[in-house]
Amino acid sequence: MKAAVAVALLTAFAWFLLRAESQAAVALLLGVGVVAGVLAPRLRMGGGSERLAHGLAFAALLVLAALLREDDFSLLLIARILIVIVACLGLNVQFGYAGVVNFAGASFFGVGGYTAAVLSRSTGMPHLLVLVAGGAAAGLIGTLLLLPVLRTRGHYAALVTIAFALLLRTFLEVNDTLGGPQGLKLPELRVGPLRFNEPVGLGAFEGSFYLRYVALALLVLVLAFAVVQRLERSFAGIALDAVRLDETAAASFGLDVAWWKIAAFTLGNFVTGVAGALSAFMIGFIAPNNYNFAESLIFVSILLLGGIGNPWGLSLATAIVVLLPEKLQVIQEYRFLLFAAMVILILLFRPAGLLPRPMRRLGQVR
Amino acid sequence: MMAPLLSCRGLTRRFGGLLALEALDLEVEEGSVMGLIGPNGSGKTTFFNVLTGIFPPSAGKITFAGAPISGLTPQGVYRQGIARTFQRSRLCLPLSIFDNLMVGNHRHLPHGLWFNLVRRGALRRKVEESFVQARELLRIFDAALADRLLEPAGRIAMIDRRRVEVCRALISRPRLLLLDEPSAGMTHDETARLMDDILQVQQQLGLTIILIEHEMGVIERITRRCVVLNYGRKIAEGTYAEVSQDASVRQAYLGLS
Amino acid sequence: MSASLVAQYVMNGAMLGMMYALVAVGFTLFFGVLDVIQFAHGDVVAAGAFAGLLAWAGLSAAGVTSPALLLVAVLLAAALATALLGALVGRFIVLPIKGAPQLNVLLVTLMAGTVLREAIRLFYPGGSQPQRFPALLPSSGWNFGAFHLRLDNVILLAAGALMIVGTHLFITRTRLGLAIRAVAQDEETARTMGIDFRRVVLVTFALGSVLAAFAGVMDGLYYNEVFFGMGLLLGVIGFAAAILGGLGNLYGAIVGGFLFAALQTVGAVALPFASAYKDVFAFGVVIVLMAIRPTGLIGERVSERV
Repeated sequence: MKAAVAVALLTAFAWFLLRAESQAAVALLLGVGVVAGVLAPRLRMGGGSERLAHGLAFAALLVLAALLREDDFSLLLIARILIVIVACLGLNVQFGYAGVVNFAGASFFGVGGYTAAVLSRSTGMPHLLVLVAGGAAAGLIGTLLLLPVLRTRGHYAALVTIAFALLLRTFLEVNDTLGGPQGLKLPELRVGPLRFNEPVGLGAFEGSFYLRYVALALLVLVLAFAVVQRLERSFAGIALDAVRLDETAAASFGLDVAWWKIAAFTLGNFVTGVAGALSAFMIGFIAPNNYNFAESLIFVSILLLGGIGNPWGLSLATAIVVLLPEKLQVIQEYRFLLFAAMVILILLFRPAGLLPRPMRRLGQVR
Repeated sequence: MMAPLLSCRGLTRRFGGLLALEALDLEVEEGSVMGLIGPNGSGKTTFFNVLTGIFPPSAGKITFAGAPISGLTPQGVYRQGIARTFQRSRLCLPLSIFDNLMVGNHRHLPHGLWFNLVRRGALRRKVEESFVQARELLRIFDAALADRLLEPAGRIAMIDRRRVEVCRALISRPRLLLLDEPSAGMTHDETARLMDDILQVQQQLGLTIILIEHEMGVIERITRRCVVLNYGRKIAEGTYAEVSQDASVRQAYLGLS
Repeated sequence: MSASLVAQYVMNGAMLGMMYALVAVGFTLFFGVLDVIQFAHGDVVAAGAFAGLLAWAGLSAAGVTSPALLLVAVLLAAALATALLGALVGRFIVLPIKGAPQLNVLLVTLMAGTVLREAIRLFYPGGSQPQRFPALLPSSGWNFGAFHLRLDNVILLAAGALMIVGTHLFITRTRLGLAIRAVAQDEETARTMGIDFRRVVLVTFALGSVLAAFAGVMDGLYYNEVFFGMGLLLGVIGFAAAILGGLGNLYGAIVGGFLFAALQTVGAVALPFASAYKDVFAFGVVIVLMAIRPTGLIGERVSERV
């Protein structure tokens, strides 16, 4: 019961925050949120079955979406948060599990989006398949990028991904076939009979067309969450951790370190690419300046704030990082600076993040 | 007379100008315990590193169970049935003891993504099976430790970490076990107990062991033969009684002439 | 291709190479001494350039017109700013988490660089636009056929070479330099021998940063403009150059810097249709080289004991 109450409170809080118009109201709510966040561990709201937590979170999101059914902007924000969580889950597999740095997260997100744009504009490929193709393109390019530096130390992968992040943007701006600096427009997302840009008519009321995006994003998130959690709670998850923590020991016990890194990198980029493709459809167009190095660093900040390796922490951090600059207009301009400074503080004082990753408990005989 | 399980001929390893191993000839009979001793920096750990493929040999050959293994990767050496512990403890401290042991059993466990992501029922059964196996192995060394499988390896005492590390090497049922100063930092009693437990497993598995040690009491008690290294070269070989009387060995250790 | 065109390319390449070498030496010093990748280094370079610009703006407004005086002021301001920033980053950001996994240090310096970069963009007046950097060196030159050899470029090259030689002499001929080399080789032993580790770290950060100051001012003088993001690409290139030569190896860093500039020039010549591709080409070659020889052309310091 405690869990249900906690979730209900959280949902209410989210609703208030999303609906808040004045900066004062937002500031007040954030204050309340911080206090609640500090007190929460003492109230011991945690514990209980994880299935319940999943179910409650899912229900809460549905309730929230229903309450906000006519609020375009709030629904857009919710959808955006869900999509960024998916993208960061991909990064988490690379960073948090396998220990492979990726400072081009936003670039792979963009690769997914550009693939979706090109495929949906010039082919008749069904759009769900286009989403998958976006992921595949990101995965493939990532593999090619990492392959040469696979057997070297971590900072080489850092260099390669930073260079990729910087150069991709220039490459996109220079290439007119990919729209140049103006970018490309995407056609309306269509899945079967559903047309995603039409308002939603459900009996008596008319809801925002973003409702469908929220639903689709939620579905993709559930899938991504399931994959990532299953991966972590398996022998493969143990292998990834071993590769991250001690390559020499891992190799001495037969783990193919290079293979695991590439597998994690590719899988992670695939997930990020799918998220990028969905995002591109939702926004309706895609342009190079949204997928630059600074945005990649925001993704990294989310990972570190949340608690690297913890999908729940990641989700919380995403909500914070996406919502804060949107609701608190004054920090919109300063968000890169702010989040970078925040990460420095986290790394210095609380490197485990908001919700540290719990130890894997495989083998617990039930 | 059976062929030796492990045979090295002319094994050499250079690091730039430094000759860490020089033309080492060494043979280990199956089922025996061989001691590898020598002053610090004499090349003992380098020998293990070359043997397990972490460094390729600069010259020479290694044969294991009749097959050449010099130049194999560490993964390849492990798959041949050679497992080791490290001089400085190399456990994954944030992971549970169980997880650490599973790393050691890598070659017997299913790691495919399909199995691990989709076939969850089979995965669960395999995990339960492995849990029992891990607990039984650990119980040989310490009953209390065996009940702490789901604690983080970073939170147990140093001696227990050593036990876990030995078990990690044993769990894959290797043919050859390489122990690098397993007793470092332990009291005499703890060392004696650890060695007894290792011998118990050795008899069960018919294991062959190469043991790097500084505590001569251990070497004397449990090894059949010893090899003494100094500056990368073998300077003596024989039973402990023989090498401890050898003049060049005493010179190397004590500086007597 | 005419001789004068070649000469022009060589000159451009040499200028770029010198800048990259100066930045790369900084990276390699930090790595050698502290085993850290100081990802804020490029942005410290940019901060130095902007500090110099501020000094010039202030002094010009106060009525100072002598270019020599202004140049000295610019250099001083840049050096002071970078030394201070470098030492701060070293003392408050890198040293505290030295024990943490290397990944954390990389992240923290990357974020520190972002803070610097954004601070310039947000707080320098008009910071999001490129700023004009004054031409403080004599603009005369000599003509060799169609090739115009500019005096200011020659001065910059000579000064850069002097800085590198100076660094080399400092490292090899002074006690402090000896301490730096000792720590770079074996920190634990150096500390047991009584070397003040903290001081060595701060001096290293200061030295690397002063080189950065010079690179920043040089960049501004050469291109006649600076902008807040200039440190990012410069830092990445400097890092790539340091890796190319072998991290921790001073001469490798210099070679790497010039090599990268050469690759960029070759790329620009071979692909005249888009200058962006010259960077892709250069990085592509670097990546291939890293794959073939991960320890660098001259050799990286490997520090792990098994």
